[in-house]
Amino acid sequence: MKKERKTETRREFLKVTLGTFMAGFLSSCDLSRFKNPKTMIKSPIRTNILRPPGAVPEEYFAQKCIRCGRCGEVCPYHCIKYFDVKNGGVFSGTPYIDVMEKPCYLCMKCVYVCPTGSLVPCAKEEVRMGVAVINRQVCVTWQQEKTGLMCKTCFNVCPFSGIAIKIDHDFRPYIVEENCTGCGICAYSCIADQYPENNGQKAIRIEPIKWKKIKEIKLEDIKKS
Amino acid sequence: MAKRSFWKRITIWRYAFLTACFLTVVINPFLNYHYDINLVQGWFQSLGVGNLWVVSPLEGIESILTAKFFYMPSLVGMVIPVTLAFLMGRVFCSWMCPIEFLSLLTDKILGLIPKWGSKLKYRKDLIRLSKRALWFTLVAELMVTMMVGYPMFVWWSPPGLVGRETMFYAFYKVITVEVWIVVIVLLLNLLTRRFFCRYLCPLGAVLALIGKRRQLVIKYDAAKCVGCKVCDTRCPMGIKPSVGESQTVYCWNCAECVDACPTDALKFVWRDSGFIRLSPPVKLKED
Repeated sequence: MKKERKTETRREFLKVTLGTFMAGFLSSCDLSRFKNPKTMIKSPIRTNILRPPGAVPEEYFAQKCIRCGRCGEVCPYHCIKYFDVKNGGVFSGTPYIDVMEKPCYLCMKCVYVCPTGSLVPCAKEEVRMGVAVINRQVCVTWQQEKTGLMCKTCFNVCPFSGIAIKIDHDFRPYIVEENCTGCGICAYSCIADQYPENNGQKAIRIEPIKWKKIKEIKLEDIKKS
Repeated sequence: MAKRSFWKRITIWRYAFLTACFLTVVINPFLNYHYDINLVQGWFQSLGVGNLWVVSPLEGIESILTAKFFYMPSLVGMVIPVTLAFLMGRVFCSWMCPIEFLSLLTDKILGLIPKWGSKLKYRKDLIRLSKRALWFTLVAELMVTMMVGYPMFVWWSPPGLVGRETMFYAFYKVITVEVWIVVIVLLLNLLTRRFFCRYLCPLGAVLALIGKRRQLVIKYDAAKCVGCKVCDTRCPMGIKPSVGESQTVYCWNCAECVDACPTDALKFVWRDSGFIRLSPPVKLKED
């Protein structure tokens, strides 16, 4: 009798502990993502979410990267972050830069510590993390007839100002795509979201490099303006 | 049982080394974050000390297999661990791995329980699989990696996750879902000692494979053995040094049996003669 009781309590204890662990595990996972397996292998790189400087093309970045986290540890501004299983699927553990939270200041420390060549050492001006795109409907300087403002913030903060961002005779900024590094400092410091009619929208966003998409955006912008 | 003095026990040095390695991995992210000391970066997937790079062999192989591209710095980084494994076998697993540190810690804590201590510390295996399961895991892991097209072990490797979760906590104040993998591995450890390390760790399999003809082995001297079988109960890997199994691939040179042996029948030996043939212990008894 006594022995039976012991095993029963042990079994119950095991059941309860296992149950709590399973419940904790399941509740900490976002199960809705698992319904669509494509989201697990679809690249989470999108507008304003970019790879660190010197990254090889996105098709084989996650294959080369061994998720050692050294780029994030040497980053002096702590702007490199990492995906986890919830928001990255198999891209979990790969680095990214969210330019809206903290842009890349192009100190080029991370490229020299990457052990697998996912980040290839290169010069500052050769970095192509993405390309800045100006939304002329939102930019306060492009809409200066409406807003009466003349803002040169993006031109001033750009590390390659005058080369990557230029201003025309009305101080309206435009981007020279060939020279833009996509560091995102302009997008980060754009003041257009402070203007009440814009509903917190920034006038500059960084698109990861897909030349087709950028061409489309350019055409649209020209048509609109 | 063992008559060795405290500082002459090899396991003491192993515990010290394990603790030092664990502390390096755990404290380093905080140093990097708060004091910007970048001398040491990363953890055991790729550790950088200054300009010295070490890349874990399995992760390097996976990266090469999926990207189908050789990158010299990563190949050079794999030289040190491969040489270490070639000469000394799975010493990474038993002397450095943070998972081994945590498992050892749980064992030691269980050993502190007054009445049941020694029984829990050297508990019997509840689940036993064939030892060859290790090779199966390695092949399965590499096949899955090749099929999915993305390296798998790089994000679910438990030793790497220990470092990664600490780094995430130090840098972004979050702990991700993957920490459950570490918890599950440690829980499996309660069923069978080092269940994951024995049967499921592909990195251990790679290191064991490299170290098949290792130089550093635990030699069994049948003439000195009194047949007390203490070593069999002490071995965390579930192999039997008392029948000479300590020279097989599955031994990870942790020296638990060497310290437990009351008659010094088990000893560390540096097989300098290179590729020598193993004399089976049965023959030795006949002599």
